[in-house]
Parts: sequence; structure tokens; C-alpha cells
Amino acid sequence: MKRPKRIPKTKERRATALAGIIILQALCALFFIGDIITDFREGGHLDDLHLGLEALAAVVLIWGVMFLMVELRRLLARMGDMDAGLMVARGQMAEVMDRFFDDWNLTEAERDIAIMILKGLDNESIGQVRRTASGTVRAQATSIYSKSDTHGRAQFVSLFMEELMSGDFSAAGAPDDHQPHTTRASAHNLRAE
Amino acid sequence: MSASSDDRSSRRASARDVAVWDPLVRLIHWSLALTILLNGAILEEESNLHEWVGYAALGLVGIRLVWAIIGPQYARFTAFPPSPARAISYARSVLSGDKTVHLSHNPLGAIMIYNLWLTVIGIGVTGYMMTTIRFFGIDWVEEAHELIFNWLILSVALHVAGVAFDSWRSGVNLVRAMVIGRKRVPQGTKLE
Repeated sequence: MKRPKRIPKTKERRATALAGIIILQALCALFFIGDIITDFREGGHLDDLHLGLEALAAVVLIWGVMFLMVELRRLLARMGDMDAGLMVARGQMAEVMDRFFDDWNLTEAERDIAIMILKGLDNESIGQVRRTASGTVRAQATSIYSKSDTHGRAQFVSLFMEELMSGDFSAAGAPDDHQPHTTRASAHNLRAE
Repeated sequence: MSASSDDRSSRRASARDVAVWDPLVRLIHWSLALTILLNGAILEEESNLHEWVGYAALGLVGIRLVWAIIGPQYARFTAFPPSPARAISYARSVLSGDKTVHLSHNPLGAIMIYNLWLTVIGIGVTGYMMTTIRFFGIDWVEEAHELIFNWLILSVALHVAGVAFDSWRSGVNLVRAMVIGRKRVPQGTKLE
């Protein structure tokens, strides 16, 4: 199953590219500094245009390296935040699911099946996991849909999708004032339209 | 709730990936290893390239030292202070079977990291001295360069052995962590 389990690959690639540039640019800066030191040893002065430009290049390169390092740190911190955010979202999702299931008075078996439906398993696979006939699973799934007042798999899954997209649910304390029925009510409205 | 919820929570508590080594740390690590390999085994000793690769190695250590001040949490000096006392007490606890996982370097590993950096700096400085008029052809500089290089080889061997041992002891594949950046910490291990 495809899902964004970790930080998106592009962010990670971006961080790696940034790190590569930092190394190359820092080595270039060190090269210029070495060159300048050698030139000074050989009696150069800063008012010499060539040496002045080289010194300027070195300063700008070092400045750039420091800037990129700070930028990389920010990017890494953002990636860490996203990771934490995902974990929080996942934890909350489990809570939301539990509350929905309680609300619908699902039986233990139905809860199991509901979770597997949400994970994208078809009736046959669910039957295999639970060692029951797929016909039994179909009957239980039908019961889940009727208890949750949905017309089938797609609409059942979209109930949870809608909960995820409803925005303020990651705010502290949100689970208490965000009851499942609001979502169900809006699902009803959608159906009415 | 049902078996499925137990299953879910146990999966959450089992092996978890923790991002520890940022890309800059990893790139510097493998680049430095490459420069050591190039200069120690492949390039001719008195070639121009040998000199430049040596300067690159010095530069890499330099960047790492700056990153250890301004970088993220696990890359910082504060995450692995050079403390022989901690290293000794860590070695004792390892011998007595403690399986605590250190997210940054473990205290013994930390000592090795500082040793490796200082050794590379030592080789770089004596190598540079050999190119200057003042120290060119002076025996003790050349001898020091080679002596420190031997120390480096010994250190690298110990470093690799330490990594292998700690991966086996703690169950955290440290080589994988230095390649992809994340340590997979087994279930129920204490973290530090």
C-alpha cells in the first residue's frame, strides 16, 4: 500500500543536495583562503586588484556556506516537525476511529473488519486474515455500512477522509469538541445534494 | 478493544526509525572515508593529487567541526561530549550487559570520533609542513606524518570493529544508519 510513511522524498533529496553544495562550496572557500594566504606570504597587498577580488570571493563563499548551513538546519527541523505531525495525526486518527466505532455500536468483529476496510483490504483478503468465508465478511461489512449509515466501501472510507481534512482536528483538545456526528451530519447533507 | 487494537499499538511500540544523521554528517563521513582510502592506498605519495586530497580531508573535518556547533541536535558536540569518564562507565555497563541505545555516538564511539578528527588534522598539518620550504626534507616531520598515518589505520580498524560490535550488541545497524540516516531502534530498548 502506498502512503506517505515518512517525510516526502523530495524534501530528503533537497536536504542531501544542500549538504553536497555546502561541502563543495566550503572546500572552494578553503581553496581561496589558502591561495590568499600564499599570495600574502609572497608579498601581495589587499590593494592589489587580483588579491582583493580573491579575498572578496572567499568572504562571499564563506558567507554563503554559513547561510546554507543555517538553511539546511531549518529544512531538517521542518522535516522533523512534519514527522512529529504525522505521528500525531496517526495517533489522533486511531482515536477518531475508536470514537466512530463506539458511536455506531460495532461488534468486536466488525471493528476489526472496519479497520481492514480502511486499510484497503478487499473482502477476500479480510476473510483470509480472519479465517472466515468472504461471504461472512461481506455480510459483516454490510452490517458496518448500515450501522454507519453509508452506502458502501467508498463512502465509508470517505467519512474518515473528511474527518482528516476537517482542519482544526490537530489543535489541542479538539477531539472533545469535534464529535463524529458532525461529520456524519455533513455526509448526510452531501448525500442530500 | 479488540485484538486489532493491541496489534496496532504493539506495532507502534516495536522497532521505530529515528532520524539521527543528517545528510551533511553522512556526506562528510563517507567523503572523509574516501579521502583516507585514496591517500592511504591508491594515490602515489608524492603526487600533487595526494596533496589536494589531503587538503580536502582537512577541509571536511573543518566543515564537520563547524556543523558540530551550529548543526542539528545529534550532530552537535553537546550530543557526544569528549568524556573519558563517561566512556569508561559506558564500557563497564556494556560488559555487564546493558543494552541502552545511544541516538548520537555512544560515549566510546565519541572518543573515537574525536581521535579520528585529531588524527586526520595531524596528518594534514604534517603533510602541509612537508610542502613548506622551512620543513621540507626534515626527517622528523616525515616520520611524524607516517607515524600518525599508522595510528589512523589502527584507529579506522578499531572504529570499524566498534561499529560491528555495537551493531551486534544493540541490534541497531549502525552502517545502515550512516547510509540512510535513520537508526532502527528495536522494541523496548532504553534510549539516551
